[in-house]
Amino acid sequence: MTLQLGEKHFSSAQPESAVRRIVTFKVGDRTFGIDVGMVREIKGWQATTPLPHAAPHVRGVLNLRGVILAVYDLRTSIGLGLTDATATHVIVVVDIEDKVAGLLVDSVSDIVDVPVSAVRPAPDLERDEHGLIEGLVLLDTDIVALLDLAAVIRDGGTEGAMAKAARAA
Amino acid sequence: MDPLAELKQTFFQECEELLGALEQKLQALDEGSTDPEDVNAAFRAIHSIKGGAGAFGCTELVAFAHVFEASLDHLRSGRVAIEDAPFSLFLRCSDAVADLVSAARNDEVATARPDLLEALERVGQAPKPAAAAPEPAKTETAKPEAAKTEAAKPPAAKSAPAAADDAPPGIAALGNLLAMVEAKTGVAPARADDGWDDEPAAAAPAPADKPGRDLCLRISPESDLFRRVIEPRVVLGSLPAEDIVSVVCDLSQVPPLETLDVTDCHMRFVVTLRTELSVEDIYSRFDFTLAAEEFEIETLSPAAANDDSEPAEEVPAKPESEVSANVAADLSAILARLGPAPTSAPEPDILPVAAPVAAPVQAVADAAPALSRAPVTRAPANDAVAARQRQAVSVRVDLDRIDKLMNLVGEIVITQSMLVECVRSLPYDVHAKTAEGILTLSRQTRELQDHVMAVRAQPVKAVFQRMPRLVRELAQTLGKEVKLVLEGENTEVDKTIIEELADPLTHMIRNSMDHGLETPEDRIAAGKNPEGTIKLVAEHRAGRIVISVTDDGRGIGRDKLLAKAKSRGLVGQDEKLAPEEIDQLIFAAGLSTAEVISDVSGRGVGMDVVRRNVESLGGRISVDSEPGRGCKFTLALPLTLAVLEGMVIRCGDDRYVIPIASVIETQHLASTPIEHLTFGQEVLRWRGEVTPLHRLGAVMGSTGTPNENIIIIAETERGDNVGIAVDEIVGQQQVVVKSLEGNYGTVNGASAATILGDGLVALILDVDSMLRLAASSGRPSVPALKMAG
Repeated sequence: MTLQLGEKHFSSAQPESAVRRIVTFKVGDRTFGIDVGMVREIKGWQATTPLPHAAPHVRGVLNLRGVILAVYDLRTSIGLGLTDATATHVIVVVDIEDKVAGLLVDSVSDIVDVPVSAVRPAPDLERDEHGLIEGLVLLDTDIVALLDLAAVIRDGGTEGAMAKAARAA
Repeated sequence: MDPLAELKQTFFQECEELLGALEQKLQALDEGSTDPEDVNAAFRAIHSIKGGAGAFGCTELVAFAHVFEASLDHLRSGRVAIEDAPFSLFLRCSDAVADLVSAARNDEVATARPDLLEALERVGQAPKPAAAAPEPAKTETAKPEAAKTEAAKPPAAKSAPAAADDAPPGIAALGNLLAMVEAKTGVAPARADDGWDDEPAAAAPAPADKPGRDLCLRISPESDLFRRVIEPRVVLGSLPAEDIVSVVCDLSQVPPLETLDVTDCHMRFVVTLRTELSVEDIYSRFDFTLAAEEFEIETLSPAAANDDSEPAEEVPAKPESEVSANVAADLSAILARLGPAPTSAPEPDILPVAAPVAAPVQAVADAAPALSRAPVTRAPANDAVAARQRQAVSVRVDLDRIDKLMNLVGEIVITQSMLVECVRSLPYDVHAKTAEGILTLSRQTRELQDHVMAVRAQPVKAVFQRMPRLVRELAQTLGKEVKLVLEGENTEVDKTIIEELADPLTHMIRNSMDHGLETPEDRIAAGKNPEGTIKLVAEHRAGRIVISVTDDGRGIGRDKLLAKAKSRGLVGQDEKLAPEEIDQLIFAAGLSTAEVISDVSGRGVGMDVVRRNVESLGGRISVDSEPGRGCKFTLALPLTLAVLEGMVIRCGDDRYVIPIASVIETQHLASTPIEHLTFGQEVLRWRGEVTPLHRLGAVMGSTGTPNENIIIIAETERGDNVGIAVDEIVGQQQVVVKSLEGNYGTVNGASAATILGDGLVALILDVDSMLRLAASSGRPSVPALKMAG
């Protein structure tokens, strides 16, 4: 994985302190990002144990060195259906407040430094009624949608509603 | 952490134990024991509390404890006969001490109840025609006076000499030291000259007939003496005990308490010897303990100085040496406590170890025989050593560490079952050999696990001993006469369960006192003993701990209960319920027992909350009541929350674990007659009863195609039976319980999860929750995930 610095993308230099370091990953052709500090580790797909009658985006639970954590399918959260998980898929293990959770994505792409000032609010908050998107960052070619992880793993995320949020990204 | 604060914390922990012991002994005496050892134990307990309290400046506590102690002393000395002593007063006082302790712990100001103080001071003053006659003066003047001066003086200062004649364990001993230090450093100047002469009391001469010459040894250890794990007792013990004429401890170097580092040695000793040993011999005896510059030897008289020391001078020398020996005894306890302090300092998670760490223990043990021969030592000091050796049997360990150990054992259990799985795929000849090893491993793992569990296990006494006080206080409030009988206090159960037991038990006992037992008048009218009995019994039964609370009161008022349930809509107006079913309504939500059964105002929560708490622990609660005869609540809890014996079953592609405790039996589906009722509900005939059948795959939404072959008959918390159809029984094994709530939320149908041998997670089924899930017929549920913000 290469580490690209923010200067590559942004001509206006910002003071060091006002930079957010973001891990970006892909689901389909969309790019999402979360703060690097929230990522505990990145591991390959591993079979999960389904939970009875859980919401569709809850893929089940898995054992991470003796800790049991739930894995959430980001593809389902944004309304693109279930991921057909294979060995090439990736689980991003994240710390959300006092919990550990897994986020199933297609692939992890990059770590980028983004000036705080370059983070724009999500364009239409009305459509993102679950508040999955915390903000947007414009890179060279991509638009990175910064995820509000708490919203992603929160219950009640149904496909239809989240699909709207996805379109905002 | 501030070492003093740490010690203080330990002191309060000790206080709890001491209070427990005190109450227990007093209770035994109250119930008719006349064993003087019980009196002694009670005395020691309050005495130790006083000693420690003095060290930490808990003035009120010291003052009260002193008066209490003084009145107990009347019993010890026989001034008051055990049979005549007011133990109910003493019990109330022990409650008061507990209150003062908890106030001190929370840095609150509390005042001892003057009425109790007064009553205590009257003990032993009461005119006792026969017993008190021989020494009325002593009883009436000495004690109250002592009590008064006591209260007036700085508490710490006085507690020292009082404590020195006994065996105060642990911190209490430190109290003595600190008190002595204070006494010495002028906080209580009145005591400065009191047996603490810096000079060796004119080098009290040895008995005239003893050959040898008089030597004076000045021992001035470096301040790091304790940190070298050496203590004065050992140093002095290396001298022939019969040669020691006197030992005087010089405390003039001890700094004020505020600046005192308790790990520093500030003591100097002056030892007078009459010995035949040469100076070189003495040097060599100190070889192991002291550096050459730490002592000097001075010859006082030539060898064979047989002349005339007045025997009378021996007498004043005695108290000094006695005290010194006790100082050594007390210090050794402190040392034992502080021995590990310097090394453990970087690890703040360690509480000061109450039991002496190995080296000092050994030192004390070694020194003991030597000192017991020594003329300077009196019997109490020996007791002190013995007491400390007994203490060494137990070690205080941070619960966190045990939890980590337990987790690790859990991991081993998982790894071991993983190995079992791996071995299965090996060719037979390799397999047979490996399997043998694995078998041994699994046996050892289980043993290891049992032992770790045993470390966590505690007698239920910890909870039970809070109950007598509750009963006493409630009896007073409610105006009832109650006798509490405790049985099986030593039944052991996991620490986590102990903590969870207190609330349900408190509530059950309150319930029995409040609603079960009648007033004395009512009881007499009903032809019963006016004194009601509540029995609290704990026992192990079938891998569970069963605790019952039985009263001989009026039983559950079924008519009232039923009427209330009907008015709340919990029971249909025309519904007919069996008496036992009505009794169970006591656990129904929204039916506070207080509102239903008696007019006494309700306290806290209803029995429904008790049931919820118990069930959340994987336990169950039931009630048996017989009108007019009494009521019995039975609480069954698992012995641990960490591991359970489970049956691994498969359904479609998914595996589940069902606790063996819930399984009654298993049978083939094909051989069981199944009938279909309406709405797809199936029932089966089992032992002549119609039992509902649920297909696990459908209820839990298992993936893959279920192909049910097996029926598991399981028991619900209410004792009903239910059939669960599954595809296959994979095996039976111990599983480590892993919470799902931690990182996810509650999962309907499952109580927790575990990790199987292949590293995959399996849900642990909760039969009752699964049935609720079945009743909601597969309506999609959402995880109850609570996120802040």
